[in-house]
Amino acid sequence: MNKIITCVSIEGKKLFHSKVPLITMLALTLVPFMGGFFMFVLKDPSLAQKLGFISAKAHIMGTADWPSYFGLLSQAIAVGGLVVFGFVTSWIFGREYSDRTIKDLLALPISRSIIVFSKFIVAILWCLFLSIFVLVLGLIVGKVVDIPGWSSDIMIRGTLVFIICSILTILLSTPVAFFASVGRGYLSPIGFMVFTLVLAQIIAATGYGQFFPWSIPAMISGAAGNHNVIIENISIIIVLLTSIFGLVGTMFWWRYADQS
Amino acid sequence: MIEIISTTNLTKTYGETHVVDNVNLSVKQGEIFGFLGLNGAGKTTTIRMLLGMIAPTSGQCYLQGKKVSAGNINTWRDVGYIVETPYSYPELTVRENLEIVRRLRGIQDKSCVSWIIKKLKLEEYASKKAKHLSLGNAQRLGIAKAIIHKPKILILDEPTNGLDPAGIVEVRQLLMDLAKNSGVTILVSSHKLDEISKIATNIAIIHDGNLIKEIDGKQLENQLKKLLILDGKERSAMKSILSKAGYKVNAQDRRISEEFLPMKIQNEDAVNNPDKIATLLVNAGYPPTLLKVEKEDLEMYFLRTIKEIGGNLK
Repeated sequence: MNKIITCVSIEGKKLFHSKVPLITMLALTLVPFMGGFFMFVLKDPSLAQKLGFISAKAHIMGTADWPSYFGLLSQAIAVGGLVVFGFVTSWIFGREYSDRTIKDLLALPISRSIIVFSKFIVAILWCLFLSIFVLVLGLIVGKVVDIPGWSSDIMIRGTLVFIICSILTILLSTPVAFFASVGRGYLSPIGFMVFTLVLAQIIAATGYGQFFPWSIPAMISGAAGNHNVIIENISIIIVLLTSIFGLVGTMFWWRYADQS
Repeated sequence: MIEIISTTNLTKTYGETHVVDNVNLSVKQGEIFGFLGLNGAGKTTTIRMLLGMIAPTSGQCYLQGKKVSAGNINTWRDVGYIVETPYSYPELTVRENLEIVRRLRGIQDKSCVSWIIKKLKLEEYASKKAKHLSLGNAQRLGIAKAIIHKPKILILDEPTNGLDPAGIVEVRQLLMDLAKNSGVTILVSSHKLDEISKIATNIAIIHDGNLIKEIDGKQLENQLKKLLILDGKERSAMKSILSKAGYKVNAQDRRISEEFLPMKIQNEDAVNNPDKIATLLVNAGYPPTLLKVEKEDLEMYFLRTIKEIGGNLK
């Protein structure tokens, strides 16, 4: 246990001495502000036009209410999270190869699995923090914009969907670590992220999105256009299995593959 | 003496290529074992196998009698290492990088960081980020990381790369001190024989994945060939006189910078008795203008050893 705590604190130190936390926070700060902006425009399009925020040709669809706003935040974390959380994971693992520091982690009196596991813990904790940050900032922005239709029921339901989307998206970043380790750097995991993102759109459009792990968080968030989409247990199991594959695959790769 | 590092029939193949082929090494306690080879000879692959970073295709590695395996983490408690150029976390300072190694190695005594900074003369750079270090200081940091836990075994791949002459001497003295006074067993690889020969108690030469020679460090001196170098105003006449006397003269007729290369004789008799050659030439009326016994340098010895076994110098 002590070894895990030591490794987690070391991985945390490496992460917080880099620019990754700042970059990812800034990237996700856009989410609630974009959502708030749309709500502001939808609430009173003529005022927004008068203030010059939108042109007369603007054609923004939707309603300005809290359920729509929560939907927007959940969609953003489900899709944007794939990129941002994937970036965090690909950096945590890929940097050891790019900076050629991997060699220093391979012959230590600490098992490689503990090192990999600690990296995942740090990645998950930081991504969870980012999700909470987006949610809290989202609530503040929503209150400032004064979106109509607030109720505690709506807030609980919206928060729940947002948290589920966040957790599922975070879980899907473990295969990114596997590709960072196999590809020895950042390029492979980023390529993998783009590939899954595109494929997720296509598969969701074909109607099989509930069986494709990278489509599932977005479907729960309502990005497929159906706010009441019911995701069956099988979808959750698919995401969990994908995540376990990424975790175990990465551990096996570090333990058994030639590290040349 | 106890065998600390050993390999038995160690082989690594990638496809059809034998990168390391049936290598048997044996390093005893307190020895400094020089592992010599040209670039691509198989030194680093052998070292990676010794450190459990890559699995052998066949054969085994042993450290302190225990079979090397990535999962056998207790093996690494007593091992310090450098594999190729050492790198550190660029955004962390020298002290922070060493602090990370201290914690990963489970060293309770926090003062070891200051101790190693002082030992490797890194005090001036302790608060400097690793990305701002010169090549030489980055190398010092790599060595510091390898010995911070006072290991019983040191496996160092080209540890003096990037160091200036003073740094090379310091590292050489450090390694000799660790072996002599602390009983540390050291395997050090290099492609520079002259550097290795100054510290190694034993030397092994690897070429194209095969161990082609093992020499006792003390015997190395005796294995170096000697030559008698001579020159004079009448080169062809001198050559003819010496040839008639039974000496094999190697004289090249091509000029380098408007001057002929001096003649060379390898005969043991000539090398051991240069006065005889001088007398012979003086009596014939062709006194030499240059006469000196020259020992083959270590690099030449290294290359000759490779050539003797039919090795291809790429």
